[in-house]
Amino acid sequence: MTSPSVTMPPGRARMSPRKRARYSRVVQYGVLVVIVVAVVMGTDWSNMREQVFNLEAVQKMASDVPYAFVNTVKYTASAFAVALALGLVLALMKLSSVRLYRIVATGYVEFFRGVPALLVVLAFAYIVPVAFQVRFSSVTVTIALALGMVSAAYLAETLRAGLQAVPKGQVEAARSLGMTSGQTMRSVVIPQAFRMVLPPVTNEIVLLTKDTSLIYVMGLAVPDYDLTRLARYTLNNVAVGGLTAFVVVGIAYLMITIPLSALTRWLERKTGSKGHV
Amino acid sequence: MSAVVEISGLRKSFGEREVLKGIDLAVAQGEVVCVIGPSGSGKSTLLRCVNLLEQPTGGAVSVLGVEVTDPDVDIDRVRTHVGMVFQQFNLFPHRTVLENCTMAQRKVLRRGASEAEEVARRNLEQVGLADRADSHPAQLSGGQQQRVAIARALSMDPALMLFDEPTSALDPELVGDVLSVMRDLAEAGMTMIVVTHEMAFAREVADRVVFMDDGQIVEQGSPDHVIGNPGEERTRTFLARVLDPTHHHDA
Ligand SMILES: Nc1ncnc2c1ncn2[C@@H]1O[C@H](COP(=O)(O)OP(=O)(O)O)[C@@H](O)[C@H]1O
Ligand SMILES: [Mg+2]
Repeated sequence: MTSPSVTMPPGRARMSPRKRARYSRVVQYGVLVVIVVAVVMGTDWSNMREQVFNLEAVQKMASDVPYAFVNTVKYTASAFAVALALGLVLALMKLSSVRLYRIVATGYVEFFRGVPALLVVLAFAYIVPVAFQVRFSSVTVTIALALGMVSAAYLAETLRAGLQAVPKGQVEAARSLGMTSGQTMRSVVIPQAFRMVLPPVTNEIVLLTKDTSLIYVMGLAVPDYDLTRLARYTLNNVAVGGLTAFVVVGIAYLMITIPLSALTRWLERKTGSKGHV
Repeated sequence: MSAVVEISGLRKSFGEREVLKGIDLAVAQGEVVCVIGPSGSGKSTLLRCVNLLEQPTGGAVSVLGVEVTDPDVDIDRVRTHVGMVFQQFNLFPHRTVLENCTMAQRKVLRRGASEAEEVARRNLEQVGLADRADSHPAQLSGGQQQRVAIARALSMDPALMLFDEPTSALDPELVGDVLSVMRDLAEAGMTMIVVTHEMAFAREVADRVVFMDDGQIVEQGSPDHVIGNPGEERTRTFLARVLDPTHHHDA
């Protein structure tokens, strides 16, 4: 009962997977280093310091940045409030048993996804007031409605998908306990959909934050300036180093969007650790 | 003697396919009816027509004296008195065990927080999970989740309980706990309709066993009759498969 000794059939000699992985990593780091060196060497640093990293220009706009920052946040938040409310209504319309609601919601989504946000802002600034004889009480209201309506079209799809992703058994369990469809929606479906849509909704807020820069077409008074409008204003009003303004507002935008992502991750962890499978 | 559930000439089709082909069944107060039959025979559909999770296409169903097949029935009110336990538990994953048991009490029965909690804790105690009130469903085993689902349904003080294969999704060693909770419930006088493949349970607990095949009731009677000594060939074939799954039978 001696077992025959088994050996691998001969084959082409090659690197072990471990060595291959190490080799591949070295190559990847090498490429990165070459790119960084090329960019650093190719940059005209003295010119950059004057035009783009100009401390004098920073000082000139420093007093204006805070209110522009607050304005950008305010425009984003109010547009998002409109988008969320309207988006949820549209999502529920899309899931409605009434065919007309579904058609209207689909038409809305197709329209507002299909036209540039800039056109919608222009329409709200110049066409809607004439057409409906309304006067928006503030820039905030105008931009919130314009961007909110565009964003609602995207959110509607996201929210609909989230609501539909909640298992049918959840609805059946709630209904079999005697809960109405409205109670089931509010207490069972929406809370569970919320967590699923958190990442795409955050994404939408980030996009909205950047889209508030479209407000420039409205012809603003200085106190209503958002970050981007302020940067353009600074560019035109300092002798040298105006481009620095864009670096400053770029950082300001990141100060809004990065904490937002952190908040999402925290919310996901908080709602996710408990109970979700 | 008034029936808790009265089903007559019940038909249900999904599109072209007729799944229930004229079912007549009455369940009396305190009676435990076990429904058995091959997969796809319409057992779940029958159960779901009782609380209108499925809309019957023909016939009449009345529950607690209310005609649920009447288009204008207040079905939410009827459902309040009819507990349902699903194969997949369907606990609310975003709520604790206690909240699962209080939600509908608060929202539907409009009970106050302390009363709802008291009722919930009493029912959790009854299913042996008083100490898990603050857990989330995902932290429990399947058997524990199903017992919470039973406690959740009981917290509405139902007059009738529907069970749709409550142990089919469970690991074998967890089945016993759930069945013993159901046995206690039957002994306490609850009216129950139980779809199950647990023949030992049906034999012991059921007052009546109903064998369904292909959308019809083929045979019904006492457990000793239907399971112990069936009169119909189809029942015998089915039981042989269930009781000795590895044995080969020619169809
Ligand atoms: N929502 C549905 N849509 C279409 N067909 C269905 C639906 N629910 C059940 N059926 C069909 O009805 C038949 C009976 O199903 P079911 O009542 O679940 O049987 P059982 O519970 O006895 O296994 C099956 O053929 C199933 O495919
Ligand atoms: Mg079934």
